[in-house]
Amino acid sequence: MMSRFPRSVNVGLLGGFVIIYLTAVGMIEAFYDRPIITGYLQFSVALMILNYLFTGYMAAKPSKDGAAPKPISAGMIAGLTAGALVGFFVLGMTVLAELGYNPRDMFVSINPASLDILSFGQTAALAVPIQALLGAVMGLAGGYLFQTAKEARSYVLVGLATLMIAALGAPLFAVMMDGLNIPSRWLFDRDGLTIAGAIVVVAGSVGIKWYFNRISFAETVAKVPGVTKKNTNLVLWAITGVVLLMLPWVVNTFISDVLGTVGLYILLGLGLNIVVGYAGLLDLGYVAFFAVGAYSIAVLTARSSFLVGGSVTAPAATGFMNFWVALPLTVVIAAIVGVLIGAPVLRLRGDYLAIVTLGFGEIIRTLVLSDWLKPYLGGPQGLTEVPSVPLGPLPARDPRILYYVIFAFVVLSYFVAIRLKNSRVGRAWAAMREDEDVAEGMGISVIKYKILAFVMGAAVGSLGGAFFAAKLSVANPGSFTLLVSINVLAVVVLGGMGSIPGVVVGSLVLVGLPELLREFGEFRLHIYGGILVAIMLLKPEGLIPDARRARELHRDNPEKLPDPILAEAGGLSE
Amino acid sequence: MTHLLELNGVSKRFGGVQAVNKVDFYADPGEIVGVIGPNGAGKTTLFNVVTGFYAPDEGTMIFDGHNISGLKPNALTRLGMARTFQSVRLFDAMTVLENAMVGRHTRTRAGVWGALSRSKRTIEEEHHIQAEAEKALSFFGNRLTGRENEMASDLAYADRRRLEIARAMVTGPKLMLLDEPAAGMNPAEKDGLIEQIGRLRDEQGFSIVLIEHDMPVIKGLCDRVVALDHGEKIAEGDYDSVASNPQVIEAYLGKAAASREASL
Repeated sequence: MMSRFPRSVNVGLLGGFVIIYLTAVGMIEAFYDRPIITGYLQFSVALMILNYLFTGYMAAKPSKDGAAPKPISAGMIAGLTAGALVGFFVLGMTVLAELGYNPRDMFVSINPASLDILSFGQTAALAVPIQALLGAVMGLAGGYLFQTAKEARSYVLVGLATLMIAALGAPLFAVMMDGLNIPSRWLFDRDGLTIAGAIVVVAGSVGIKWYFNRISFAETVAKVPGVTKKNTNLVLWAITGVVLLMLPWVVNTFISDVLGTVGLYILLGLGLNIVVGYAGLLDLGYVAFFAVGAYSIAVLTARSSFLVGGSVTAPAATGFMNFWVALPLTVVIAAIVGVLIGAPVLRLRGDYLAIVTLGFGEIIRTLVLSDWLKPYLGGPQGLTEVPSVPLGPLPARDPRILYYVIFAFVVLSYFVAIRLKNSRVGRAWAAMREDEDVAEGMGISVIKYKILAFVMGAAVGSLGGAFFAAKLSVANPGSFTLLVSINVLAVVVLGGMGSIPGVVVGSLVLVGLPELLREFGEFRLHIYGGILVAIMLLKPEGLIPDARRARELHRDNPEKLPDPILAEAGGLSE
Repeated sequence: MTHLLELNGVSKRFGGVQAVNKVDFYADPGEIVGVIGPNGAGKTTLFNVVTGFYAPDEGTMIFDGHNISGLKPNALTRLGMARTFQSVRLFDAMTVLENAMVGRHTRTRAGVWGALSRSKRTIEEEHHIQAEAEKALSFFGNRLTGRENEMASDLAYADRRRLEIARAMVTGPKLMLLDEPAAGMNPAEKDGLIEQIGRLRDEQGFSIVLIEHDMPVIKGLCDRVVALDHGEKIAEGDYDSVASNPQVIEAYLGKAAASREASL
């Protein structure tokens, strides 16, 4: 598209609109209460600064048609434009309000308080020069940042990112440090960092990056006496394991609980990854297996009673079975349901398969809600009093203990996923995903391997359901909506289809992050959506892509490819 | 003597189109049979019927003593039939080695338990699969060997065709059906291909049926040639007798020769 303005002005206008948008949705006002450096820098001001910096940086980038602007002047022009736009916005809104057309009538958040923040407490007329100056300076810095060497730039980015993460996670980190009896007062002040804290965080992160730039983490570990080249990997895994095992005792119970939920989604994600990632069968009704797992464990172990026709009746199917006996049964039941769902969709491909599986997800939910199964599954109320995971004398309701149980099963499923992938079965699935006809022509029974994919996916996913029911002590239809299917699919796609570590990272980002962002209240989903869009734009192949998928998406740009012989692909030569 | 593959009166219709009409066909052990005919003559449809991609509407098909009518492609691969495709169809996002290894699927057994336990037997089987795959790749000298970890999509066109043949070799076939193996190759590559297909028969002992438009390839390779037109067999015999058959010339060679002249 051609435009009459130079590109830097266009970028600047976009940058300005970002701030106006943030104001209109109320973030600027709400985030003014949130300090980055307590007493000196508020989060909303930091957002403005970072936005102008980013605007300048983007303006300095060569455009797609190859025209390379002069970075510094382009950055400054973009920043100036953005700032001026924001300034005139403040002025315009104030004038409108004076004239009696109050913008608040439409946008609640375009109010004197937020406009005051944008004009830094000065009159509206002064907002224009103030914002323009701020924009120009930061835009210039952004342009300069683009011009500097890549390495120097990465230090700045790491420093800034660490500062923001440390400040936004301040309450969390403070609690963690208190838990470890490390003094934290000098670092954190209320919800933000102290001046000293900010300096330490930035200097520390840059220092660590500098150190590991010269010598990688693995090499550092290899230098420790007793660690040989052979067992470096083992030591790295051991360190990761110890950190993960210590985690519940470092963080508070709330975070442990969140980690437990993340673990459940990892289980679900690993299961769906087999169906979608390995075998290429787009299943939009994966929640069915989650529900089957939860209801199976509930029916087998729960001591439920609920109202049927006005009187309290005990459901027919109260098993009182021990959880550990019920769990393998649950997996078997889910595997059977996997066959039942897999069989009718064998002849379907692509979009048609997706639609039909979507229907199956809904069928399971409707069945659970039905009067027909109410005596067994409790209808809309579901099954209650599902006992927690029995662990002898240990308090099983403690999220920290449950974290370990879920962790153990995540490790188990992770192992299953890796082994399946690097096997004759995994190869058959991959071939089927690539070209179903040819796979059949090469001797692979497409019917058998489609059903097998559903069975394995169901078995792994049902573990997630079982622990979900045991964790919440209920299984009710409200937990098994289409949204769960979509969330799990998002976990798989975001992490990178077919990638096993991708599932873990995807769960942390999509399930863990929103829980931690809870304090941002009404903006939680807003930020979550923004992050999602940004990741899919910047890394469409997923955060930790499978080597094969990355090939498909970056065929025209081999530089962006990861090493094709990743550890995962090398699993055969054992 | 009994034929390795024997078709009697095989027909296939698509709506009103009679793609294959009462074709009798056979291939003997150690034989190279060429199938020729103009575009739309029903050659590829015949292949698809033989290899189980389409079920025949009528007729009988015997392969290696088995009645194969209505069998699925994977069952036929198991019986010892392997094929390549007219438009090369590799598993593009898998490596060269993995593509070849998939071919061994039907001759191996490891399932989920084998994959999870990685027992001695599974590991030995994986080694066997890899060895078979590498052996097949090495059939084409250094064209594929040494590139095992490259993505199939990154191979040059002729090498993609070679990999498709290698993948078919790994299935351990008795009969190999090649659908236009020389398409898109330059003359030097074609000469190499003629030599390689000959070796497939002489060294590996495969019977081969190939569809080909390229007459030098047919002439250089085939013990017997079958010509199809409009789904019917119009001629059969050695190259010279088929090539001089007036019906064939009218249906195919005249047109093809003319178009070849024009395109050169």
